[in-house]
Amino acid sequence: MALTQVSSNKCAGGFQKVFEHDSTELKCKMKFAIYLPPKAETDKCPVLYWLSGLTCTEQNFITKAGSQLAAAEHGIIIVAPDTSPRGCNIEGEDESWDFGTGAGFYVNATQDPWKTNYRMYSYVTEELPKLINANFSTDPDRMSISGHSMGGHGALICALKNPGKYKVTSCRVCVRPHLRPVRLGGGSPSAYDATVLAASYSGPQLDILIDQGRDDQFLSASQLLPDNLIAVCSEKKIPVVFRLQPGYDHSYFFIYSFINDHIKHHAKYLNA
Amino acid sequence: EIASIRNQLQGKVAEMENFAGHLEEIFLTVEENFGRQEQHLEQHYNDVLQTLSQRYDDRETGLQEEKKSKLESLYKQLVACGQALDTSKELIETAQEVYRCQDERLFLKVAQLGLLRDFFFLEFAKEDIDLSLSTSLEFSTPLADLSDVKTMMDSINVVPAPSAPVINPQLPNSATQTSLHVCWSLFSDDTVEYYELYYRPVLEDTPADSTLPSPPAIKQRECSSCPEAALIRWESGNTNPVDSYIVELSETGTVVAVPTCQCLIQLQAGRQYLISVRAVNIGGPSDRSDAITISTTGTFFYLLEDTAHPCLSMSEDGFTIFYGDEELPITAMAFEDNTFTRCVAILGDLIPVRGRHYWEVEVDDETEFRVGVAYEDTERDGYLGANGSSWCMRHIRTPSRHKYEFLHNGWSPDLRITVHPVRIGVALDYDRGTLSFFNANLEQHLHTFHCRFHNYVHPCFSLDNPGALTVHNGIQAPDYTFI
Repeated sequence: MALTQVSSNKCAGGFQKVFEHDSTELKCKMKFAIYLPPKAETDKCPVLYWLSGLTCTEQNFITKAGSQLAAAEHGIIIVAPDTSPRGCNIEGEDESWDFGTGAGFYVNATQDPWKTNYRMYSYVTEELPKLINANFSTDPDRMSISGHSMGGHGALICALKNPGKYKVTSCRVCVRPHLRPVRLGGGSPSAYDATVLAASYSGPQLDILIDQGRDDQFLSASQLLPDNLIAVCSEKKIPVVFRLQPGYDHSYFFIYSFINDHIKHHAKYLNA
Repeated sequence: EIASIRNQLQGKVAEMENFAGHLEEIFLTVEENFGRQEQHLEQHYNDVLQTLSQRYDDRETGLQEEKKSKLESLYKQLVACGQALDTSKELIETAQEVYRCQDERLFLKVAQLGLLRDFFFLEFAKEDIDLSLSTSLEFSTPLADLSDVKTMMDSINVVPAPSAPVINPQLPNSATQTSLHVCWSLFSDDTVEYYELYYRPVLEDTPADSTLPSPPAIKQRECSSCPEAALIRWESGNTNPVDSYIVELSETGTVVAVPTCQCLIQLQAGRQYLISVRAVNIGGPSDRSDAITISTTGTFFYLLEDTAHPCLSMSEDGFTIFYGDEELPITAMAFEDNTFTRCVAILGDLIPVRGRHYWEVEVDDETEFRVGVAYEDTERDGYLGANGSSWCMRHIRTPSRHKYEFLHNGWSPDLRITVHPVRIGVALDYDRGTLSFFNANLEQHLHTFHCRFHNYVHPCFSLDNPGALTVHNGIQAPDYTFI
């Protein structure tokens, strides 16, 4: 698969690059961002996959989250894909901000007209890692996944549905899968619901870190239901540390504030 | 002649200058003394005022209690009287009813039987009615015992005796055949009027005091260690004064001389050392004390028994603490100056070396505990984590779930932990100013405090409910604890 470099900027001693390629899963051109720390010039590095939230592209995380310094310090490659297939000309794909373009929800749609292109789950868990491992100096056995909002939820479901694939997962805020993915038709709603997946998880031990801003408007609107997830994880003995951060909201300012903690959390396992 | 007058005058000027200098010195000394006296006086009067205030509080409480008990007994009497009144009224009504009854014969019969019985009852009951007041209306006012206050006031005018001066070690070449240069200093704020110097010759050939000293005894439970150093404490083992001690490391043959009964000695990480001590006096060194084994793997410390809350008991090896089920009555609890009085807590020995330290605490599912670090002067009547001198992780058990707090100054972040840790790793980094907690079994990071420690700290432990916890130390810190 041919990769075309779209941009490259030196950052924190390494390089923040953006590439474009033809995706076989999504049947369209897709961009992704990749940060290569200084260590990648000489050694194979572990990879952290970052999934962004609704309305984001591959740009938001790399320009606003301030992750490059910590990634450079711990020698970790960070890959940030886009949040949905683009330019597919599906009717209705641009109608709402939380459905369609910029809102892939990291599921594989099963209904028409979405099911041809909207296969973000397979893209993130299969096509993209293969692509990254083939083209960059990576250690294919050391991957972890993290994300924000819709991406946070996406990270959880990828980890729960693929026991042993990801060394560790963390997220800032996980959106409750509400009506949207059902319209995309990702099988039954429970196939992509982190709370349901956690209840039936069996696999190698996970270590999950979740940060939630207390002043997050989505939290107060009950669009996020962390309590359900925590209750299930307590019962199933899935190790989670959930932190409610006072004063913080849903924005990238919140992500920026805690990205170091999360990268350190991943580094513990990726560099062990 | 003019020259001689000039000389005289110059002499006088010099004298005057001298005198002025002298006066200045005296002036300064007077100022100092005054300052000291003032402080001393203030302290003394404060003590007296405190005692008086305390007495006042005690007396007031006493009066309140007396009032309360008098009121209670009067109230009881009132109630009893009321009851007696009611009974009497009933009797009267019964009598009246019987009286109004139409059947005269019945009346008479009933009257005879009933009234007689009731009459006796009334008479009988009457004996129980005591119409005298149960308590006196006066308050007993015992004479206030202010004798100790009086003693304190009297002693205000007394100048305290000064503390002993310290003689400086003899300087070389400070003596001749017939004279000796002796220097001493006074390390206190005392006022001194004069010194008295005593001396006595010591015969060189048969020095009565110069037998070899006895070997010291190392206090095992008061020694601690970490990867870079060990703190050794011992008992002198001699009633006669000892000049100094020599600490010996058998491994390296290193020898360190110290004047006091403790020594912080630098070591290398990951080794084992055999350490012994000798006492030295004018006659020479003693035999070696029994050796102690120090292992510089991880940080090792004992728990300080004299800080333990009376409800805590310790296992034989000194690493498990228990909070028993039985309620100890307050009077049975022996509180000392250094013990915790509210929080059922205990401190570990001080960690007096910079750098990184790690230890683990073993608990079970139900134990409610606080585990962390605290400064030496942390409030003994406070709760761990509730003040600015302690940091701790706290576990609270509710019927439905586990709750966790990471407390300092009474504040904790809001977080949930889904798997209850039964083996907690505590990682202290003095240089970075962090204190971290881990679920050691899962290698899961729980929380990190960021705090600039301005002093060395003690590990601290407490049990909030009956239960037990065990401290494990001397463990090498796992890699993930200090990323």
